[in-house]
Formats: sequence, structure tokens, C-alpha cells
Amino acid sequence: MHELTIAQNIIRIVHDELEKIPGLKIVECVRFRAGRLNAIIPESLKFNFDILKKDYPMLDQANLEVAETPIIIRCRHCQAETEITEPLFLCKACGSADLQMISGQEMFVDSIELKQTDQL
Amino acid sequence: MEIKIVRNVLAANAELAGTIRERTRAHDILLINMMSSPGSGKTTLLEKVIPLLKNKGVRTAVIEGDITTTMDAERLAPLDIPVAQINTEPFGGDCHLGAEVILPALENFDLSRLDLVFIENVGNLVCPAEFDTGADLNLVVLSVTEGEDKPLKYPLMFRVCQLAVISKTDLLPYLGLDLNRLKSNLAHVNPQLPILELSAVKMVGLAELVDWIDRNLKK
Repeated sequence: MHELTIAQNIIRIVHDELEKIPGLKIVECVRFRAGRLNAIIPESLKFNFDILKKDYPMLDQANLEVAETPIIIRCRHCQAETEITEPLFLCKACGSADLQMISGQEMFVDSIELKQTDQL
Repeated sequence: MEIKIVRNVLAANAELAGTIRERTRAHDILLINMMSSPGSGKTTLLEKVIPLLKNKGVRTAVIEGDITTTMDAERLAPLDIPVAQINTEPFGGDCHLGAEVILPALENFDLSRLDLVFIENVGNLVCPAEFDTGADLNLVVLSVTEGEDKPLKYPLMFRVCQLAVISKTDLLPYLGLDLNRLKSNLAHVNPQLPILELSAVKMVGLAELVDWIDRNLKK
């Protein structure tokens, strides 16, 4: 269900960015990135995005691409970096629990792809 | 033509959460966000713990978030404390409380006369973990009937919290739950998460929770 709010925020951000660009704009693609820990269901996010985009002529042809960032932690004891692939948050090198999140818990609109104006 | 944007999707929420923190800090109020599955015993816990806090002179208010109904707010009415009810939608509606609903809810209270505000979030282990409410501390309640596996299935929830409360421990004799495995699963997901075990209806373990709150109060 959080996908609905996130889809609304994605559209708001893209719309806001489009207003800064002069001229006629048609968005082909919106690239979104979420951390693995955010547990985003891409199908659900796209489903919500596809419903909401219909209210925005600049966006109604846009395809949402969803990429996932792996969970990476850095150990504060031995400085080793580990990718966390299962729910066990310990340093793989020394076993410490004193970890700093490097990635895997952030969501952002990475970029948008606009149709070339000569294609319009 | 590709245009780089790189904008945090939750930035607007984070900004409002910052405003909430400024406001509560100005009045030295501790804001605690309680999260859990539906039916884990959040409201019962509040019913039992708020009178204990009151005895210690802690002036408490509650922001009740429910998708619908004011039942939880009505249950708290006998406590005679300020309660603000947020209903996200009459039918269906949102699955979490964002900072945009907490901020206006705070305006229902006279902040100069409070020490502590609880947010009782919507029962859900997924979405509420994602949205900063502006709280100082996040607390997750996990009842013993929910099984040992929940921390592994909802890791983000157990990583964003500063305290895990295992509730309904009076039911343990009737369940096949392996409490040690539940605790070890909590430690796998967040090795630094303190754990309190309690039974609100039997009034067991509540003093430890009161102590934890007391230690974190700002005045």
C-alpha cells in the first residue's frame, strides 16, 4: 500500500522538474530507484503510477522503470563493507553489530527521459 | 534526452517531520511513535501505561491513527487525557500516518501543558516504517501470537525502532511460540534493539516500559 503514496510523490517530483524546463515536454520514461530494505513491489508501484499519470498530459505516455539498490553496510569496527542479502545485520568479516548503512534504504527519482522535440 | 533528477521521494515528508521536531523540541515534549500489526495490543498498552505515567506526573496526550472508526479514541476517553483522532479515510484509505497528518493533529493540543505524546500508528508492519512521523523514538509492539518470524519478514520495521515490546506474554503457556527464537530473530535484524517483555492485562513488565519512557523524557 505504501506504493500509492510513493507513486504520488514520484509524479509530484517529476511534474515539479518538468515545470523548470521550457517548451513542450513528453516524458517517455521515469527512472526510480529504491533500496532493497524499502520492500517496494515494482508491479504495485507501476500499477499505481499508471493510474495517476493519466491526469498529467506530459506524463501519460511515461513508463516507470524501477531499479533496486542493494543493502550495503560498513562495519564501524573493522571498516569492512558487506552486502546484506538475508535479514542478518552483522559484519561478515568480524561479526560486529555496530554498522553504518551505506545504501539500501533510500528512494529517489533518478532521471527522466524526454521525447526529442523533433519526434513530436 | 535524459534529465538527471536524483530527488528523494520522501523529502517532502522528511521536511514536515523536521517541523514537527522543532515544535515538540520547543516545548520539551517527547514524541513516541508506536507501530505494530493490527491487534498486537497497542491500545491496551496505552490504557495501562498512561495511568502509571500520570501517577509519576507525566502529562500525556495521544494521537490515534486508524483507517476508520473512533473506537480506539473512545477506549482512551476514561483516561481523561487529550486525544486527537486521525482517520485516514472512511473506507479503505491510507496504510500509515505521514508527517502531514501528525502536524495538524498536534495543533489540537496545548503543547505547553504536555510532556509526552504517543502516536498510535495504523496497524501495519510495512508502510508505517517507511514514513518519518517526526517522532523522537519509534517503538514496535509485537505480540506473542504473531509468531517468531515477523522480524525476518518485516526487517525495515525492526530496524527503524529504538525499542521492541513483546506483548501478551500471559498467553505464552497456551502457545507453541519459541520466545528465544523470536528474540534471536529480532537480534538478527537489529542487534542493537532493546527488548521488553510484558503483559498489559496482567500488569507485568509495565514498570520497565515506564522507566524507558521516563529516561527519555525531555523534562
